[in-house]
Amino acid sequence: MSGGLESLYPFLYSSPGDPSAADRVLTEVASSTRAKVAEIDRLRLRVAGEQAEEIAACARAMTAAFAAGGRLFSFGNGGSSTDAQAVAAWFMTPDRSGTGLPAVALTADVAVLTALSNDVSFEVVFARQLAASGRPGDIAFGLSTSGGSANVLAGLAAARRIGMITVGLAGGDGGRMAEPGTVDHLFVMPSSSVHRIQEAQTTVYQVLGELVRDALRAS
Amino acid sequence: MSAPGIAATDVVAAFDRRRAATAMLAEDADAVAAACRAMAGRFHAGGRLLTFGNGAAAADAAHLAVEFVHPVIVGKRALPAVSLVNDPATLTAALAAGGPGETFAAPLRSLARPGDIALGLSPDGGCANVAHALGVAHARGLLTVALTGGDGGLLAATPDVDHLLVVHTSDRAVVKEVHVTIYHVLWELVHVFLENPESLPGSAA
Repeated sequence: MSGGLESLYPFLYSSPGDPSAADRVLTEVASSTRAKVAEIDRLRLRVAGEQAEEIAACARAMTAAFAAGGRLFSFGNGGSSTDAQAVAAWFMTPDRSGTGLPAVALTADVAVLTALSNDVSFEVVFARQLAASGRPGDIAFGLSTSGGSANVLAGLAAARRIGMITVGLAGGDGGRMAEPGTVDHLFVMPSSSVHRIQEAQTTVYQVLGELVRDALRAS
Repeated sequence: MSAPGIAATDVVAAFDRRRAATAMLAEDADAVAAACRAMAGRFHAGGRLLTFGNGAAAADAAHLAVEFVHPVIVGKRALPAVSLVNDPATLTAALAAGGPGETFAAPLRSLARPGDIALGLSPDGGCANVAHALGVAHARGLLTVALTGGDGGLLAATPDVDHLLVVHTSDRAVVKEVHVTIYHVLWELVHVFLENPESLPGSAA
């Protein structure tokens, strides 16, 4: 067998467990990990640098809403659906003063989600729940890495009709969520990576939670 | 009430609090790579990923599973992953029958096969039900991976965890954020090993 092909396509000639191949890929993967760590650090620095004023304004509005008896409703699709549940858990969990805040993830109830999807359409799964449960002064918290999820946008539109405070987390260029009049408080993670966007969004919603809890304790 | 005094400087300070623990993940890149290789070896041999955690980490367990089942990058193959936290019927059945310590161990005993991967998240390492489930998994021959923080708590003290990834802070919010990065990296880099099968462990690791 000629050595030419083997050097071009070593994987055709080696079997699992090849120590040199393992070392090569391990090195490559470790290096990739370090690059991703640097990438998320830069993204968070940029978000803090460019959006700190608006994050503070949003935290003030959410604090006032909770203080007046408002509740939070969070929603998103896929990984953002579980992030919506993490948002609700973050606000609901009692803090060191023993107080939890009222928050509901609209993605957690499989009966409601499948009923609406089956009987009406997937686009209404959040809007219909908000129409049923949302009240003026409540908070709608929508997550979409692209800013273009139709059911998240429909949920935010329903929330605005009700008179809720609307908060939107997006990525990339913000998509349709960044169009004027879509949300009261918009945070766009300027990255093309869905993963880095989700990581920066996690920081945004956790920092919002920290600031709201601190402000409510101080008031 | 008066308008709460939250300023932009508070936001910047909160973001800055994330930086040190995030940077330290780079120092653990070799441990992350080793976990990816072992997980890829299990997937290559037909194993499945089973994930679990409590509270916000339950949401992370579900997020982790959907990453593998429905990749965000077009063209990556779907890999078998199940979160043990998604079904309130089985969760509450395990709780009612065996108490909180059995939350994840009970469904694992029914679902797990020896070639599978058990991945538990516990931000402070103090979740007894996560540690117990990893022990049950290890005894059955599963590959065990733990994502934790602080000093690793119960998870650092047990030989049942094959791959321990610790976020070096006791700040639970920061631990969670670094966990999100870790599991995104785990998903992406498992595929690098799968696309280079000669790099996989020769036998189940």
